[in-house]
Amino acid sequence: MTSREKILASIASNKPSLVTMPNVPIFEGDGSVERFKNVLESIGGTAVELTTKAECQEAIDKYYHDLVNVASDIVKANVSINLDTNKDILEQVDLAVIQGEIGVAENGTIWVPESNMLNRALPFITQHLVLVLDKHNIVANMQQAYDKLEGVGNYGVFIAGPSKTADIEQSLVIGAHGARSMMVLIY
Amino acid sequence: MSHQNHPELAEAFNKDFERTTWHDETLWFVRQKRDKAVYPIPEFQDLRTLASEIKDHTLSNLDNYLIEFEQNAIKNGVKVHWAADAVEHNQIVMEIIKNSCKVEGRNPRLVKSKSMLTEECHLNDFLEKNNIDVVDTDLGERIVQFRNEPPSHIVLPAIHLKKEDVGETFYEHLGTAKGEKDPQILTEAARQHLRGKFVAADVALTGVNFAIAETGSFVVCTNEGNADLGVNLAKVHIACMGIEKIIPDLHHLSVYTRLLARSATGQPVTTYTSHFTKPVEGKEMHIVIVDNGRTQQLGREDFRSSLKCIRCGACMNTCPVYRRSGGHSYDFTVPGPIGAILSPNIDLHKHKSLPFASTLCGSCSDVCPVKIDIHVQLYKWRQIVGQANELPAAKKWAMKGMAKVLSMPKVYDLSGKLARGALRILPHGLTHNESMNPWAKARELPDAPKQSFKEWYEENRQ
Amino acid sequence: MLNTVGVFIRVKLPKLIFRPLELKNMKVALFIPCYVDQFYPNVGVATLQLLEKLGVEVTFPMKQTCCGQPMANGGCEQDSKGVYEHFVDIFADFDYIVTPSGSCTYHIKKHYDIIEQTPAVQKIRKSVYELIDFIENVLKIEEIPVDFPHKVGLHLSCHGQRGLRQANASEITGVRDGQISKLLRKLKGIELTELDRNDECCGFGGMFCVTEEAVSARMGQDRISDHLRNGTKVLTGGDVSCLMHLEGIVKRQNAPIKVMHIAEILNGNQP
Ligand code: SF4
Repeated sequence: MTSREKILASIASNKPSLVTMPNVPIFEGDGSVERFKNVLESIGGTAVELTTKAECQEAIDKYYHDLVNVASDIVKANVSINLDTNKDILEQVDLAVIQGEIGVAENGTIWVPESNMLNRALPFITQHLVLVLDKHNIVANMQQAYDKLEGVGNYGVFIAGPSKTADIEQSLVIGAHGARSMMVLIY
Repeated sequence: MSHQNHPELAEAFNKDFERTTWHDETLWFVRQKRDKAVYPIPEFQDLRTLASEIKDHTLSNLDNYLIEFEQNAIKNGVKVHWAADAVEHNQIVMEIIKNSCKVEGRNPRLVKSKSMLTEECHLNDFLEKNNIDVVDTDLGERIVQFRNEPPSHIVLPAIHLKKEDVGETFYEHLGTAKGEKDPQILTEAARQHLRGKFVAADVALTGVNFAIAETGSFVVCTNEGNADLGVNLAKVHIACMGIEKIIPDLHHLSVYTRLLARSATGQPVTTYTSHFTKPVEGKEMHIVIVDNGRTQQLGREDFRSSLKCIRCGACMNTCPVYRRSGGHSYDFTVPGPIGAILSPNIDLHKHKSLPFASTLCGSCSDVCPVKIDIHVQLYKWRQIVGQANELPAAKKWAMKGMAKVLSMPKVYDLSGKLARGALRILPHGLTHNESMNPWAKARELPDAPKQSFKEWYEENRQ
Repeated sequence: MLNTVGVFIRVKLPKLIFRPLELKNMKVALFIPCYVDQFYPNVGVATLQLLEKLGVEVTFPMKQTCCGQPMANGGCEQDSKGVYEHFVDIFADFDYIVTPSGSCTYHIKKHYDIIEQTPAVQKIRKSVYELIDFIENVLKIEEIPVDFPHKVGLHLSCHGQRGLRQANASEITGVRDGQISKLLRKLKGIELTELDRNDECCGFGGMFCVTEEAVSARMGQDRISDHLRNGTKVLTGGDVSCLMHLEGIVKRQNAPIKVMHIAEILNGNQP
């Protein structure tokens, strides 16, 4: 017997008789931009409201004028990143500006599918991260988010604020391995 | 090697009064953060119930969900491996690494994000003995790896260490300034050091928080971003999961992602909730599905619900015993209340003191996001330890004697009278002798009254 | 609780004439747990007197001993069967069994499942009541007219609180409320201590208090510090076992705290 067969057989003989699956409702909740912004700021992110998506460039120029290497398919970029970009170039990215799909007001997180990332490593290796989000795509909670998603694709990540750790004496430090700062441009 | 039990290790921990205070308060702070994150969610208790029931259902159909998961993962181009135990798991991981990266003139390099399963299997030691360089990339895990210690908590691996200790370790291993203890500066040093490791790695290994049967995807939750950074830079991704990580579909996942981080650290959600389904063209993704005692636990009716654990660590943070004895006092990969009900399944003899390392206060069961009745299981494990003749002889006979006395009212009345009489007559120094009476180390005995209640009742009411 | 020398001061209190209809002809037994009987008889006396004042006719079966919890928690549940059966024999005839211990009540309700579930056993598991639960939910008494002008710290014993759900648990809600605090709050002149940790275990834990002496003592010391920090003068609770442990620490530290069981306070005893 292979281990696979052994494990499956052992489960079959040890599991209890079938327990019914509960009905999992989609809970209501406050999906306002206000709440999303408040929660995002409480977890170390920054939220900036724009009137149109076209204002993204202006916002980047305003907040990130000192950063040199920008990767993006939304605003002006000076590093071109694609699936095959090698690690040395990825490592040089100061700022990535990419599209987020769904924001969750309850926890400040944003869904970023692979197709928006340019390269799977980009949102993590960049020193700073900006996600661009349509305010109509903010929902109340995770249940509503997955409901709206209809599948998670090949790879996708909910990102909530900048990378952080509290592994040294529970002191919160922003900027562990991933982005040191995270801004959401909401239009 | 003689093995120390929980009371001995806990006593040693408590020798340093100030440090025990600090450890207790640090973890209580996490518990309070959890409370603040939980109270405002009106349906939090409903979510706990759902999370518990979804897992009950899933465990009752686990084989079919695993098969469904495997089929979908294979369709996605993922290689699925099955390991019956730790040895096989380690062997599989090693072979994947050796087959996938034929590097010349140096060891293959592995970066790992947090995986309690690989701790359970003692993977690091095994790989290092087989000439593979292993770097734990979670900050807390890296700290304990440098120090050659096991993690003392499943979510906060270095919670037993003070910043001065970390400063000392980093001075030694990373060349930070002597005496540097600022967490900001120490974290930055680790960031620089580990970026180099991420870029240089051949293989990245992650744990699995949830595996989705319906899509063949698996979900990894981190705050630091180390899992994604490692995986997305390396050529090969190995994900190791226990069989119990399965949930049916994404709709169910949403229940757990609302519970996990709030329960664990009091954050609304982990910074990164990453869903891996298909590898990038030209790269490899492997999943190792591990039993290692889990199917046996599934067969134990009283204890199977321990498999519902989502490893949030809340039962540790809330446990008044854990906070005052430290994770290492449990001497098991998963410490704290949940560890105390998982470990006897693995080695009853070795871990027999753990079900007794609790007052059965029940805080763990009330905090647990999947509603495992941990304190009830502790009580039940105690009975199994008792039945298996694993109790210390003195205790066993004392219990038997006590039970006899208490089932015979006359004998009970008389022995009570004698004991009280003795307590009144004997000098304090003798009744409070520490080696004979552990109670008296820190406590006075109650005054022994002349009359028992019964005697009073006879005199006054009959 | 310190005054255990066998001298019991009868406190004159206006006798509460109270006899709910459905309690007429009900047989109520008093169960005084073994360690209370032996070491804290005054808690037994206070419980009895309190129930009498509340108009309850109480019987104390003389052959009672213990509920069997100490052995069972120690892993010797099987050895306790004899004790369980003895308990059932003694109490089978009563409609209510009242005891000043949440812990014993919890044990009987929860763990008497290993003996044959005869009608008597099933009945006992239902009819056993912790004292305060009995007062509030059977007698339906919401207030007891007693003066107690002291700053009182309430220790919630875990078996009463989480086991019997007699008080809210901080894991579940931020609202601090429960059966004992409801009654206490209404005493004249009382001030209740607001603790930093409202419902942390004291560390008694049955055999735990000796097998895990270091942690047990430390837990108790931390509870006492919390009470001292926040001004408790009288420490009370529903379980003598927790109070015995905490009092042991208070006495060792010579801390300015007087420990009293809730039955003593409600009975009108003064510190
Ligand atoms: S037992 Fe419950 S509280 Fe403890 S780690 Fe597991 S899920 Fe969390």
